[in-house]
Amino acid sequence: MRPTRNLMLVTLAALAITACDNKAANDTAATPEAKETAGDKTLAKGIPADSKLAAALKAAGLDATLAGPGPYTVLAPDDAAFEKLPAGALDTLMKPESRADLTALLTYHILPGTILASDISKAIDAGQGKTVLATMGGGTLTATKEGDSVVLSDGAGGKAKVTQADDKRSNGVIHRIDGVLMPS
Amino acid sequence: MRNWMLAASAAALAITAPALAERGGHGGGHGGGKDRSAQVERGGGKVKGQADKGRGHAKSEANRGGGKARFSQNVDRGGDRGPNRGHNKAERDDHRSAKAVRVERRDDEGRGRGRDDVRVVRMDDDRRRDAVRVRDFDDDDGFVRRWGQHGFARGFVDGCPPGLAKKDNGCLPPGQAKKWVGTVLPTAFRTSSLTGPYRDWYRDDDRYLYRMGPDGLIYRVNRADNLIDALIPSYLNDYGYYPVGMAYPSPYNFYNVPVQYSSYWPDDDDYYYRYGNGAIYQVDPRTSMIRSIVALLAGDLAVGQRLPLGYNTYNVPLDYRAQYYDTPDAWYRYNDGYIYQVDPTTQLITAVIRALV
Repeated sequence: MRPTRNLMLVTLAALAITACDNKAANDTAATPEAKETAGDKTLAKGIPADSKLAAALKAAGLDATLAGPGPYTVLAPDDAAFEKLPAGALDTLMKPESRADLTALLTYHILPGTILASDISKAIDAGQGKTVLATMGGGTLTATKEGDSVVLSDGAGGKAKVTQADDKRSNGVIHRIDGVLMPS
Repeated sequence: MRNWMLAASAAALAITAPALAERGGHGGGHGGGKDRSAQVERGGGKVKGQADKGRGHAKSEANRGGGKARFSQNVDRGGDRGPNRGHNKAERDDHRSAKAVRVERRDDEGRGRGRDDVRVVRMDDDRRRDAVRVRDFDDDDGFVRRWGQHGFARGFVDGCPPGLAKKDNGCLPPGQAKKWVGTVLPTAFRTSSLTGPYRDWYRDDDRYLYRMGPDGLIYRVNRADNLIDALIPSYLNDYGYYPVGMAYPSPYNFYNVPVQYSSYWPDDDDYYYRYGNGAIYQVDPRTSMIRSIVALLAGDLAVGQRLPLGYNTYNVPLDYRAQYYDTPDAWYRYNDGYIYQVDPTTQLITAVIRALV
């Protein structure tokens, strides 16, 4: 997505300058340093390029979403999590004809705004042991605690645990999880 | 109903009439798209040299409906807990010097009063009215309510928004809608204000009005000639994102990026941006193929509505947490480029506080 990235970075930098001026946006050149800094710390860059998740995001065109302004909270299943899916399930999802299903699955792992583990924890406490989280895909997840870990329950009766929380990025935060969540 | 249909047919014949031709140059008209291939309209904020390139409403400096500039000013929260909350809105709107001074937080959901020029902040009144209406909503839903094809899932009769159904104007079947482009907006819809989050996404400005039409389409009306010049699909279908590789639907192929993102994603020679079905897509200008999804829009929060299920958790972006944090008096929740303020007691969303992009 090179052209997209460059455009994103140029406009990002241009907007940063314009915000200071309080004027309407004009074309302003971005310094190479500004471009690099902005580009390296996005959610997109926080997902290993050779991972199954990265491949799935790219197929669905969502890699650009995670390189944009966001912010989003990404629940990122690792490769082992994808391997727990029924045999062939991921391959089927990666086919062009399954694009809508793939997008639905991935957007179920993207939440609006920046939600840290401590935010979830507070909401769980306030909710007497659980809280519901809205996803960009439209369904919801239920979050509970098991010991110190946050556990997410999906619409299909499955669960995944947050194994590594709060990877803060320039446009959101990533929590790594050990399962793939299913909307239904 | 028959009268306007006849008028619409007549107007449809004149769809490429001079009224739609772009004005060119500064504050260039939308109509430039008509001179090009297909029905693609170019819009956006970048000046690319040639004066004859059509530019959407997002471009103009003085009266842009969107843009980060107006929100980058400091919205001082110091004194705004309690009765002063309304002041934030005055600051938000001060760039639109010509008309609207403040924003009215109406919750009338399509039964709008059509006062599109002068709007008045009425925080407390709105909240009282909202409290009455919110009892219609059922909190026990297992899913976050989405602004679907006909607004919230409840309250619609035969697929039409309630205001229209009551007036017995009927609804247009889909596909008929594109024939409206280039026609005069029928009187019935002139006062139908946008519902839910769309009121913060598409704001009337000096050049355009946005009105909710039948079947959940938003009509953009050019103030100068009172003609509909663009349609925007307002439905947020569950899981209904357009897939990458599909052609962006031509009836909606106009620059329609919501205002809070329009300066971030203007059209240019290499990239077009189109909103639809809950996302902003990057579209190839020549083939109209969707190349990627650049943003996902939840469309869950709107002033006057109750905080939906799934938003109990604080989700304000890190850079804004020092300024907007939950207290017993006010909660803050982020959605679609805006931070919203919530009354914790009533769970009502009481204000749009600021835009981020």
